[in-house]
Amino acid sequence: MNLNGWKEKLFQRYLIWSCRPAKIRRYLRAILPSLPLPDPVDRQKVRVAALQIKLELCQNPVAFADLIHRRIKEAYVAGARLVVFPEYLNLLLFGVLPGFEQLEQAYVSEADDSKPAAGEGGDEQISLPDLFRFMTPAVLPLLTTLFSALAIVYRLYIMAGSYTLAANGSVTNRAFLYGPDGKLIGIQDKVHLLPVEEEWNLKRGKNFKVFDTAIGRLAMPVCMDATYFETFRILENHGAEIVALPIANLESYNYWLALRGIWPRVQESPLFGIKSALVGSIAGLTFTGRAGIFAPLELTANGDGVLAEVEHFDREAMAVADLNLKALQELRQDHPWRDRNPALYGRYFPEIYQR
Amino acid sequence: MLVVALSLSETDLSTIEGYTSDIKKLLTAPKPAVAVLPAHSALALGLGIGKLNNFNSYQETFASYIADGAEWTSEFLDLHGRLSKELQIYLAAGTLIEQEKDHFYQTIYCFNPDGQVCGVQRQTHLTRFELDLHLSRGESLDLFHIGDFRTGLVIGNDARHPEVGRIMALQGADLLLHCGAIAGDYTCWQQTAAMWTQVQQNQFFAVEAQLSITVGGLSFGAGPAIVAPCEITFGNTGYLARGNPTSPLVYAELDKKALAKIRNDYPLLKLLNPDAYSELYRGEPQ
Repeated sequence: MNLNGWKEKLFQRYLIWSCRPAKIRRYLRAILPSLPLPDPVDRQKVRVAALQIKLELCQNPVAFADLIHRRIKEAYVAGARLVVFPEYLNLLLFGVLPGFEQLEQAYVSEADDSKPAAGEGGDEQISLPDLFRFMTPAVLPLLTTLFSALAIVYRLYIMAGSYTLAANGSVTNRAFLYGPDGKLIGIQDKVHLLPVEEEWNLKRGKNFKVFDTAIGRLAMPVCMDATYFETFRILENHGAEIVALPIANLESYNYWLALRGIWPRVQESPLFGIKSALVGSIAGLTFTGRAGIFAPLELTANGDGVLAEVEHFDREAMAVADLNLKALQELRQDHPWRDRNPALYGRYFPEIYQR
Repeated sequence: MLVVALSLSETDLSTIEGYTSDIKKLLTAPKPAVAVLPAHSALALGLGIGKLNNFNSYQETFASYIADGAEWTSEFLDLHGRLSKELQIYLAAGTLIEQEKDHFYQTIYCFNPDGQVCGVQRQTHLTRFELDLHLSRGESLDLFHIGDFRTGLVIGNDARHPEVGRIMALQGADLLLHCGAIAGDYTCWQQTAAMWTQVQQNQFFAVEAQLSITVGGLSFGAGPAIVAPCEITFGNTGYLARGNPTSPLVYAELDKKALAKIRNDYPLLKLLNPDAYSELYRGEPQ
């Protein structure tokens, strides 16, 4: 089994055709409402939404568009100015591949060592990176068209989640940010890869970016990037106020395991953190998480660093909270315990990373 | 290796004899290889036995110790050298104030079972309160050996600064001994945001001694804890042992093989991407 046969190439052309921007735009025009302009941004009350998406396969691009539209509308109705989608959102589109269920069974068997993997002794199995490459020409125009159109109609900032996409011979895990005018504000490639992503030969991002917007300075590192304090120190140094973090955690849910990541990073480098989570199973992989919105302990009513968090780790949900950027600025300017020690850092960094 | 974190709760601080007797009693049953006292131990004991003076505010009391406490600091060090030898343990003696030229530092001394100093660490990151007292920052983070554990010492506010844990981890630290003190009402989140966080992103053990008494009119309340990477703790909590503000001590056995296994299975430090950090500390003075 491979992706270079004539049938597969033909199907890929069909896939690209079915995801074409003109079709998606036409579909959206028919269903989208006309809405009034939002109120001016109040820096003391920037409402944001963190989405938790259940990993359910979409059988066609329109089903994907409907799902994304429904979730954005939900955030709009809740009054959000920024809505954040999770990591690996392209996995939902595997449902458009004919025969994906059989392929998924093969992946499940491979994940379970006790069972022989499908394809063993016979067809060569298609790897997930092969599928990412195969689908990129269809997925990229689809997501670009879809999120841009929805951002315009709902006048929202949308962090569209991250997608594993091929470009220039390599695959990256890339997040996208759209503005209320529908324009792509920026992209961010995942800088720290999971061991499994290294096995897949994904390409690491080289740096971290911060984007100036009307609702504050935004950044969007991806999942594993929040394991390392360096990510948030760099973003803070660049003036980030809000970090939107898409995650897809490959582990059984445990409160403490899930606490590692954005919560500690927000405490170390004071800013607001929005975690969106992909949950559910596909191809022998199970993702868990709880979407939430986090802040320095000093800026949360209970002193626990949590502004809002969804209740369950395995189903669709949304967390909504108001961010007070003015309070964050005041905390940073008059912080009770934060300090810098340039002499210490100069003595060890960056050489110590080479040990 | 068995380790103990103490809080000075339920410890007699009114006489040297009462203090040493209580410390010995607390450590008799677990018989640890390593014990850690919380921050401000020298101040608390000095005030308790009348070697230091209490003033109207904690700030004035602390300032008085900085200005006039050199003699007591010396006695405090002698006392804990003797204690470590008598108990045949490594003892991180909490924190004291030491002077070098015109600079004052908050410092931990660790004694080996021979009663000799085996590790010294100055605080490297100061709170606003400590800056107002004109304390100075240490400029190095050094490790020493306790058996086959490469060990570092961490003071108070340094636990909230991830550069400290990272520098020690990249030097090969297996164990950090943390002398802490958190003022105000008890909340587990301040502790979680400190040493627990450093342990999880660096994969070492930490013995966290937290002061749990009132000193100079200021109440300190946090629980002692022994912290490890989540994967090698019961329930994945990241705690091998965890007390509350009334716990005089907690103890736990550290399993170096379990630590090696999680480092091998999930090599967090090998997955760092230093090429992306080039701008982070660029231009810091050498």
